[in-house]
Amino acid sequence: MSVTQTRSNRSAEAAERKCWSCSAAVEGGHFCAACGKIQPLPAGADYFGFFALPQKLTIDSAALEKEFHKLSWKLHPDNFVRSSEFERNLSLERSSELNDAYRTLREPIARLEYLLLRLGLRKEGTSKQQAPPELLEEVFELNESLDELREARADGGDVASLRERLVEAQQNFQQKLGELDAELATAGRDWDEALDTAADEAKKSALLARMNEILNRRSYVRNLVAGVEKELAEA
Amino acid sequence: MGRTVGIDLGTTYSLIAYMDAQTGAPKCIAGPHGSTLCPSVVSVDADGKIIVGEPARQRLLTQPDRTIYSVKRLMGRGVADIQDELKIFPFRIDAASQNVIRVRLGDRVFTPSEVSAFILRELKSWAENFFGEPVDRAVITVPAYFNDGQRQATKDAGRLAGLEVLRLVNEPTAAALAYGLHKQKRGRVAVYDFGGGTFDISILKLISTDEGDIYQVLSTNGDTHLGGDDIDNELMQMRRLRTALTEVTGVDPFQDPGLLQTLRKALIAVKHQLSTEPYAVVDFQLSDGRYLRQVLTQGNLKKLEIKQEEFNDLIRPIIGRTMQPVKLALADAKLSPTEIDEVVLVGGSTRIPLVRKTVGDYFERPPHCELNPDEVVALGAAIQADILETGVKTMLLLDVTPLSLGIETMGGVVAKIIPRNSTIPASAQEMFTTGVENQTGIDVHILQGERELAKDCRSLARFQLKVPPGPAGLARIEVKFLIDANGILQVAARDLRTGQQHFIEVQPSYGLTDEEVERMLEESIEHAEEDFTERQLIEARTEADAILHATEKTLAEPRAAAIAASELTAEERRTISTSVAQLKSALTGSDYKLLRQRIDELNQATMHLAEILMNSTLQTALEGKRLEEV
Repeated sequence: MSVTQTRSNRSAEAAERKCWSCSAAVEGGHFCAACGKIQPLPAGADYFGFFALPQKLTIDSAALEKEFHKLSWKLHPDNFVRSSEFERNLSLERSSELNDAYRTLREPIARLEYLLLRLGLRKEGTSKQQAPPELLEEVFELNESLDELREARADGGDVASLRERLVEAQQNFQQKLGELDAELATAGRDWDEALDTAADEAKKSALLARMNEILNRRSYVRNLVAGVEKELAEA
Repeated sequence: MGRTVGIDLGTTYSLIAYMDAQTGAPKCIAGPHGSTLCPSVVSVDADGKIIVGEPARQRLLTQPDRTIYSVKRLMGRGVADIQDELKIFPFRIDAASQNVIRVRLGDRVFTPSEVSAFILRELKSWAENFFGEPVDRAVITVPAYFNDGQRQATKDAGRLAGLEVLRLVNEPTAAALAYGLHKQKRGRVAVYDFGGGTFDISILKLISTDEGDIYQVLSTNGDTHLGGDDIDNELMQMRRLRTALTEVTGVDPFQDPGLLQTLRKALIAVKHQLSTEPYAVVDFQLSDGRYLRQVLTQGNLKKLEIKQEEFNDLIRPIIGRTMQPVKLALADAKLSPTEIDEVVLVGGSTRIPLVRKTVGDYFERPPHCELNPDEVVALGAAIQADILETGVKTMLLLDVTPLSLGIETMGGVVAKIIPRNSTIPASAQEMFTTGVENQTGIDVHILQGERELAKDCRSLARFQLKVPPGPAGLARIEVKFLIDANGILQVAARDLRTGQQHFIEVQPSYGLTDEEVERMLEESIEHAEEDFTERQLIEARTEADAILHATEKTLAEPRAAAIAASELTAEERRTISTSVAQLKSALTGSDYKLLRQRIDELNQATMHLAEILMNSTLQTALEGKRLEEV
């Protein structure tokens, strides 16, 4: 690894939107329309904006992939091997942003998490987990079965029947996961519609809060499923 | 500016290739021994001279303690990492080694990057001889599963060899590039790359766009310490064979390092033979120059026979070890084996029939092996080198980082910030702040790997963010982690309160600092100067001997002596004899520049005599012939 001290400074160009090379006004595009030089990322750039997309949750994945390939072709460091160090760094900055943005936006859950992060509903690196109230009883039972399974495994008890119970519980939670995903999809469509119809801030805030809450429940169930999967694989 | 080439720096063999402008196809360059394969073997002579390639490989048998092979296994690793390898590889590790290994060759000590640089220099000279002009830039390939430290060590080797490394390209991706050009394939491709010391699997998607072809890597996995070497070691450890050898030769080869290398060579030959034959016999030259097959009875020779079946049973576990990464790579690409359209085999170890069968059975389709599995990686590197050099982009590689990047958090847990199989360049930003009042530094520990705990991941580097004393949580330092197109991490930090670039001094956990590379570079240039001087001196001496011999021979001849006496002035005759004397005296010294000067002077002094002699010879030849006969 190496340390770079010469990377472009995002805040420096934030004040004025002018091309660093020819001083023509730039509209936040990847290249200067006048001289064609690659431009620094503006401060506060977001992944949706990078692809010139609105902050909607429904994305045509084929179109997104096509745009990803098109932009890769233009922004990749291969194109800048013989350019100045400054331009090479801009290419590195923009092409990594492109890859980060594509990686995030192509997955519906990552896309939603990112939107909530941008709009201040989540904090980076933290994923809150919340047990869905209607599942509390089942979660309790599941944990009991898991304990029993571990015990049975340790002293050679009846693993087979416990396994069966766990597989059943697993299927239950898997189904719940499906329901939560459907709920998220509906909420997502509502959000897109709210943007289309220029709905008021209160309505949008309520939608965001709802999606955040479903996401927290989903991440709880997702972890349960993963945990049971791991136990079953070991048993 | 010199030429740009593609280099496959392999565990067993290394190759150099270029893009042929006439044919538009990449081509490997052969060395002085006629082969495009340069054995990745380096040896140091008693007088400190470096020997690389085929002659070095010969010395594995005669001077094993001055010779090293498979140095790639040591790249970017620490002493603690290689304890297992030391049991089977005759590496002589310098006692002072810690997080950078230093190997001892005779009385000199080198880092793995320096040893690799010798191999790169050798290849560079092959290409320079071929082109008749300097080569100064290269694309070098690395195993896809190489971590940051191993990549950095490879890049350092390039720099030490006097090459600007335009890009490190993953070996399976390079192979896919060569195959794509060859076959114009589309769809999903699995590249199974089983080389001398490393195993890689990459799953790619080949896409045609309006601009050109894109080779997008979906996932990669592998084992950087699994290869043909392991098969050789498995053969070496065959108890049955050791017993048989001791019985029929009367010597235990494991008690004799020279004989052990001889046996190793013989077993590699057996391995190669078993790729095409149902059985092979272990045979090597004894110290009296005779081969085992010449001295042993049929019955004893039979004891040294290895059947393909026995060989297959022996290597099945090794081949099995390659299939785990294959499954993981497919899972990450979210594909099943039958969703793969083409399977490509790369690396010498894929010549083994059982490897081909295992891979073919798993993907339910015959794998491709049309291109020479030894050359295909270098050819792909040459294609990428050409794209970067000419700027004419006909295709684009989108590769991935093989391992997740993370930082250590409370309790030694790793927080993943860039997941594995992310397209590179990739980046992540993290905010750091102080936890207690008047804290003046924040420690950051960067790791690579998939495990949950820092102690189970590969440590890349540590650094401390310096902050002015103040209340807890006031400092806000944003650190940007960026994996570049070579798969190498760059770190930059910015103080969000001042907007200033934040200076960080990174201590790489394994590998050389920039200063160390710089120092080695200076030393190698000094050595290069020495080597150059030595060669010049040898050449000048040879030439001086030749011209002195010719001059004296001519003057001793009666007819020439008579001409010299009658046709040359006294001054001219004197100049010749002084020049001869002066050249002779220069020969006793070792100043090649002075020798060159004296040679020129003698040439000058004898020029008139030479002319006269030539004319007279011509006249003698023409005398008595009629004009029309001439």
